[in-house]
Amino acid sequence: MRSPQFSSFVILVVLLVVFGIADSNFLSPLNISNMMAFLPELGIIALGMTLLLTAGEFDLSVGAVFGLAPVVVMLLVQNAGVDIGVALLAGLLLCIAIGAINGVIVTKIGISSFLVTLSMLLIVRGAALYITQGFPLKSWDQPGFFVTLLAGSFNIGAFRFYTSLWWFIGLSLLAVYILRYAKLGNWISAIGSNRNAAVARGVPADAVKIWLFILTSVLAGLAGMISAFRISAASPVAGTGYELEVIAMVVVGGTALTGGRGTILGTIVGALMLRAIRNGIVLVGVPGLAYNIFVGVIILAMLILHALLQKNAARS
Amino acid sequence: MMQEVLRLQNLQKSFGNVRALKNASLTLKEGEVVALLGDNGAGKSTLIKAISGVFPIDRGDIYVRGEKVSIRSTREAMDLGIETIHQDTSLAPDLSIARNLFLGREPVNLKWLGVFAPLDLAKLRDAASALLKRVGISKKLDADALVSTLSGGERQSIAISRAMQFAAKVIILDEPTNNLGVEETHGVLRFVKEMREAGHSVLLITHNIHHVFEVADRIIVMRRGEIVAEQTVADTDLLTVESLITGADLSALMKRAQ
Repeated sequence: MRSPQFSSFVILVVLLVVFGIADSNFLSPLNISNMMAFLPELGIIALGMTLLLTAGEFDLSVGAVFGLAPVVVMLLVQNAGVDIGVALLAGLLLCIAIGAINGVIVTKIGISSFLVTLSMLLIVRGAALYITQGFPLKSWDQPGFFVTLLAGSFNIGAFRFYTSLWWFIGLSLLAVYILRYAKLGNWISAIGSNRNAAVARGVPADAVKIWLFILTSVLAGLAGMISAFRISAASPVAGTGYELEVIAMVVVGGTALTGGRGTILGTIVGALMLRAIRNGIVLVGVPGLAYNIFVGVIILAMLILHALLQKNAARS
Repeated sequence: MMQEVLRLQNLQKSFGNVRALKNASLTLKEGEVVALLGDNGAGKSTLIKAISGVFPIDRGDIYVRGEKVSIRSTREAMDLGIETIHQDTSLAPDLSIARNLFLGREPVNLKWLGVFAPLDLAKLRDAASALLKRVGISKKLDADALVSTLSGGERQSIAISRAMQFAAKVIILDEPTNNLGVEETHGVLRFVKEMREAGHSVLLITHNIHHVFEVADRIIVMRRGEIVAEQTVADTDLLTVESLITGADLSALMKRAQ
């Protein structure tokens, strides 16, 4: 078992044990509940990003979409008096539009997804700041169907979980199915591995990529809504820097940045790992301002490990 | 009598001001290996890309088994029984052999789910193993092995067997022996002969004239977007073909040198 997701899993276990020994609070129900509250929000985006990266593209605008979607929904509800259901639908359509624009420009005009989605990041973040004039909005805090659906919570023993965890689990299972067992997954991997070969076999590579951009955008918007409902606030700067964190989760899990090789299980491990690192490092007493150093070092170490494993595999 | 499988009539294709294909006509018969020769920029690639549906032609007609067809995509070409094997671009290295063999034509369960339909993995593997056995490479290769672990010759064999498996009428081989070792090259040429015996028609694009004389029945030479010569291999020789490709009369030069 030298697959990248397996080595990531081993390191995750090691990290959990080390943090658990270093600070007894790390594995306490309260702390685990806390980690599980944050995990799905980035994890859900990471699922879409994994599929997109496997197809050979990536999306830097997810963090900005994470911020914009709830802001637009809340503005519609609070300033325009639109029904929350309709406002959520509008938010969904907005995310679809952003993803479609990303996808069409990348595939039809042929500009790299790095540049297209970097520009989109600026446009979307700028839009969120402008329409709110930079002020956070109070989010929807009246209990109701949608709040329960996206940010309801429940207790299992001493643990308190949010419904977002179900979303993450459900979407994860769906993503595993698609990538490993469905016809579409074969196409996604083939496109990322050798686009010309896939096209030559009649695979509609551009359409697949456009839909993946849309999917990633929609998942980013969904994660943004979940977060806004959970903390009862929609901030125009929410999700800043998430794009890199999400990409880190995906590649730490073993998905290749160059496309062709993707693993959803690896991404779940990667999401857990980054969450545990961020949480554990603070608990063991690393100064808050220094902790990005540690996160960066651990990510780099993971990537070096993957690269070495890959080299070994190629040699044998 | 050998039946006509593919007929191209007056194909024309321009890219901006460049007339890549001026007036190309050719016929391919059943169980025939035709070599398409020409220098770089002669229009060979444009011609095969037009047949395999990479881009549409500007003018001209394509007939498959006597029926006029229009080929607007690679998918349509495949559905008409035209399979093209490009050097190095035919396989996805990160996918297994089995998944590559069926790429774009995956056997699935629950077909109504469309692209979300689950792959019939058992069928995929069985069919791939049977195919690898049939083409005589079962001993070495596992259907689940990643293509990235294969040698160039093995990859070419996989791509060729894939084309044969789908009972393609016309198999287009684009520089199939480029970057291959001596033994691998012979393997590929043996494959070409097998294809002919199995009744497939082969259009072979190559720079290596020796290979042409080893496997082809007929030779078609292109120069500057036009077909300038068509000869049966039995009626010609290496020097004549070389002079046809370059446009210079090499045999006259040789005589003078003597």
